[in-house]
Order: sequence, then structure tokens, then C-alpha cells
Amino acid sequence: MLLEQVEYVRPTSLEEALAVLTEVDGAAPLAGGQSLVNVLKNRVASVDLLVDISRLSELRSITRSPDGGLDVGACVTYDELDRSPEVREVHFTLGDVAAHIEDQQIRNKGTIGGNCCLSDPTNNLPPILAALDAVMSLRSASASRRVPAAEFFKGYFATALEPGELLVSVTVPPMPARSGAGYASLHVAADAKAMARAAAWVQLDAGEQTIAATRVVLARMASVPVRDAGVEARLAGAEAGEAAVRDACAVAAEGLRPIDDVHGSSDYRREMAKVMARRAVMQAIDQARGGGDGAERTRRGGRG
Amino acid sequence: MTERGTSHAISVTVNGERVSRVVSARQLLVHFLRDTLGLTGTHIGCDTGNCGACTVVVDGKLVKSCMLLAPQADGGTVETVESLAADGQLSDLQRAFNEHHALQCGYCTPGMLMSATYLLRQNPDPSADDVRRAIRGNVCRCTGYVNIVEAIRSAGSAGKATLATGSAEEV
Ligand SMILES: Cc1cc2nc3c(=O)[nH]c(=O)nc-3n(C[C@H](O)[C@H](O)[C@H](O)COP(=O)(O)OP(=O)(O)OC[C@H]3O[C@@H](n4cnc5c(N)ncnc54)[C@H](O)[C@@H]3O)c2cc1C
Ligand code: FES
Ligand code: FES
Repeated sequence: MLLEQVEYVRPTSLEEALAVLTEVDGAAPLAGGQSLVNVLKNRVASVDLLVDISRLSELRSITRSPDGGLDVGACVTYDELDRSPEVREVHFTLGDVAAHIEDQQIRNKGTIGGNCCLSDPTNNLPPILAALDAVMSLRSASASRRVPAAEFFKGYFATALEPGELLVSVTVPPMPARSGAGYASLHVAADAKAMARAAAWVQLDAGEQTIAATRVVLARMASVPVRDAGVEARLAGAEAGEAAVRDACAVAAEGLRPIDDVHGSSDYRREMAKVMARRAVMQAIDQARGGGDGAERTRRGGRG
Repeated sequence: MTERGTSHAISVTVNGERVSRVVSARQLLVHFLRDTLGLTGTHIGCDTGNCGACTVVVDGKLVKSCMLLAPQADGGTVETVESLAADGQLSDLQRAFNEHHALQCGYCTPGMLMSATYLLRQNPDPSADDVRRAIRGNVCRCTGYVNIVEAIRSAGSAGKATLATGSAEEV
């Protein structure tokens, strides 16, 4: 397909990239291109200058932060998240979510930064990053700031990014002792977009019998991932077992109006949010007890 | 910084041969391969990143060449389906596709072969599930995939060992 005429430039440093993005009206960062190239084909947005940030070494690394969390550069690909021993060790579920995005070809190009900056409500990473309480580091030519994931996503294809600003990295805090994460999605077919999705983080109390703290995030219920305060309130102090979790998740998505379309009605999606929330929370409890993937953490460095 | 502009002089090693061309910034890599270099083995099915017919290997990574711009490949290496048959001899993988009747119209085949090549480099002895996961991004409207999975497995090391020992056991 023939794209509209466009300019291209490949800066060799982050500073150069930020300068070009500030100076040129109509400049847009090009990361994995797995959404942007289609946007250009469809001519739904017009871009005058593509600033290729995908090779910038400043945006390409995964490091352990001093507190034991992770700093993930914006241009780290899904495949790199999947295969990173650091990611698997600290945040197994994040690696696992990345490992199940679409297919190998897309995972080799698509980036964590692009996945977040597009703010497509069907994208896989925003809800898990919100559940893990990640923080987005943004930079412009003149300033830097940090925005919690929960405040970064503003609406359909809208984020907190200002013109000229780049997402440079995503900081995921460490997984505390006796905590774990979970993620569940409902698809009409394996390669269809999710209709309902939940991501959860759970911390158990010292005896590992009751829930001490949670974050439960629903996706596809609104234009952005949303914390479900109703479910979280019912889970606090509840027994960490199927019956109590099912009971707490029965109020999931209350007051939300997910879309109605050929794949399912709004009511059906809301009903399914309860199931996704329950599955995500149960997975998180299992991981908090060192089950499945939590064992990875236990094996390598104790429960903290 | 590369010079900013609507056209770019790029240098790419394609199937082992270094080529230098001036390309338009808006040219998709798949058009560079097919139209500029005449390598028409790489097909275009959907042009939206969904079908995998345009799959090639760029800098060692499997990608869909309709989802990349030609200037993004500058300085790198590209492997297309034309690289598989050395000196006109079909590779083991290509022969396995033939023997297992893993193609009908053949439209998806170049992409399937590249995804299979990438898989076998990382995992020389894939299970049927490994193969299905590896070709998830490649759509075939004809075969129903069963023979494709068998062909790829038989080109793996276990399959080759079976052939070498002459065992008739099902792979
Ligand atoms: C057929 C198909 C199906 C897919 N299915 C899914 C799916 O189910 N789930 C899923 O999660 N993903 C899916 N993807 C992949 C996903 O849509 C993209 O990879 C992702 O949305 C964009 O990431 P990217 O790195 O490719 O970014 P690009 O396409 O390069 O950029 C996307 C947008 O973000 C901006 N941007 C990129 N990086 C930055 C940055 N660091 N700072 C500021 N702005 C930035 C760009 O300017 C652009 O507006 C699919 C892709 C395809 C082709
Ligand atoms: S033509 Fe590239 S994925 Fe279909
Ligand atoms: S053989 Fe016809 S599409 Fe696969």
C-alpha cells in the first residue's frame, strides 16, 4: 500500500530525538511501528516526520532498580520482555502477558512504550502495568516527570504525554513478600481482541490465609484500565480462597458501561468482568503463595 | 543522525548480498524487496500485519515486512524465502513441505517457511504445540495447518533422525 508522503529521520541519541520532536510540527516517534505503520496506511492521522527511536540505546535496556524493581526502557520489545531473566524473576506475569501478545513477528517489533503510548483499550500491557503500580518516566527537551500508570492513560488513544514528550522508561516496583499478580482475558477467538480483561495484584498477610492488600484493574469496561474500588474493598481482609474471592468479584464493573457490539452486549461484558476478576485474583493468590510462577522468585532470591 | 527527508540512501545486506539504493521514506520493506529488488517470493496478503505472507527475517528477528518501512532496515540484514534453497537445491524444510503436502495454493508458504526457519534456529526439536505457537502469525486458507505442522516437525532434529534411521514411526 502506498503511504502518504512522509519524512523519516533516525536520531542517534535521545537528546537529538527530543530536539527534533520539539522543533518539528507534525513529528511523531516511530517505535515498533506495529500500530503506527497501519495508521499511516489508513491515513487516519497525518504525520509529517517519523522520528525513529527504536534503536536508541538509552531506551533499549532492562535493569534492576536499586529497590529490586525493574526499569524497562520504552523501546524494549514484547519478545525481550518475555525472554528477560530479570523480568521473569521479579514480575513473571508481566513477561507472560508480553509472551502472549499476538504472534512472534509482532512480539519482535512491538515495544512496551508503543503499547502504552497508543492507549488502545484492547492493548495487553496497560492493565497489568496499572495493577503492578508502574510509573512512567516522561522526558521532553527541557524537563522530565514521572506519572503513575493509573494517571497516564487518559482515554481512547489519549495519554498524559504532551507534544514533544517521549515515554523513556517504565518503572515497575518490586514484588513484596507474600504477593503475586494475575491476568485473565476473554476472547471470542484466540486471535480476537479481548472483550473483558482483568489484572490483579494481591498481598497476603503473614499467615498467608487472608488478603492484606490488592489492586484489581479491569480493562475493556471503559476507555482506559480502571481500578475497581468495590472489589478491592470487599477483598481487603477476606479469606484468600475461591468462595470469598468469588463473592468479592460479584460486584466487579458495577456502575461501568462497557461497549455493546457484535461480539457481546454491554451486560454480557460486565458479567464476564466478574469472572475475569476472580480468575486474575485467584492466580495472584497462587503466585503469592509461591505457586506456579511465584516459585521462580522463591527459587532465585527468597520471598522478598 | 541520518539526514531528515522523504528519500534515503540505504544499504542493506539481502540474502548475503549488499545492496545500496535510494528509497522513499514511505516505501514499505515488502515493496522494496518485491518491486525494487525483484524478490517476489515474499508475498503480500493483507497489508495490515494480520496474515504473515510477507514474513522475513531482519537482523535475525522474524518480522512482517508490510509493517516496516524500507529505511528502517538500513544498515541491517534481511533474509527472504529466496535464501533457503542454496544453489537451487531445496532445503530440508522445503523438501519436508513438499513431502508432507504442506501447501496447496502456496500463497502462505514463503511466510510459513520463514517462521519455521526462525523456530528451528531457536528450537531444533519443536513439539507440535511449539510449532503451532510459532506459526500463529501465519494464516493459511487452504491446508488446515495439520500438514504444515507435521512438515515443520519432520524438518526438526528428531524428524531428521527418524528419516536417517529409516524408522517408519509416526513423527
Ligand atoms: C495484527 C496486529 C494485532 C495486534 N494485536 C495486539 C493485541 O491484541 N494486543 C496488544 O497489546 N498489541 C497488539 N498488537 C501490537 C500493538 O498494537 C502495537 O505493537 C502497539 O500498539 C504499538 O507499539 P509499537 O512499538 O509497535 O509502536 P508504534 O506503532 O511505533 O507507535 C504507536 C504510537 O505510540 C507512539 N509512541 C511509540 N513509542 C513512544 C514513546 N516511547 N514515547 C511517546 N510516544 C511513543 C507513536 O508515535 C504512535 O503514536 C497488534 C499488532 C498487529 C499488527
Ligand atoms: S501482508 Fe504483511 S502480514 Fe499480511
Ligand atoms: S497453501 Fe494456500 S494459503 Fe496456505
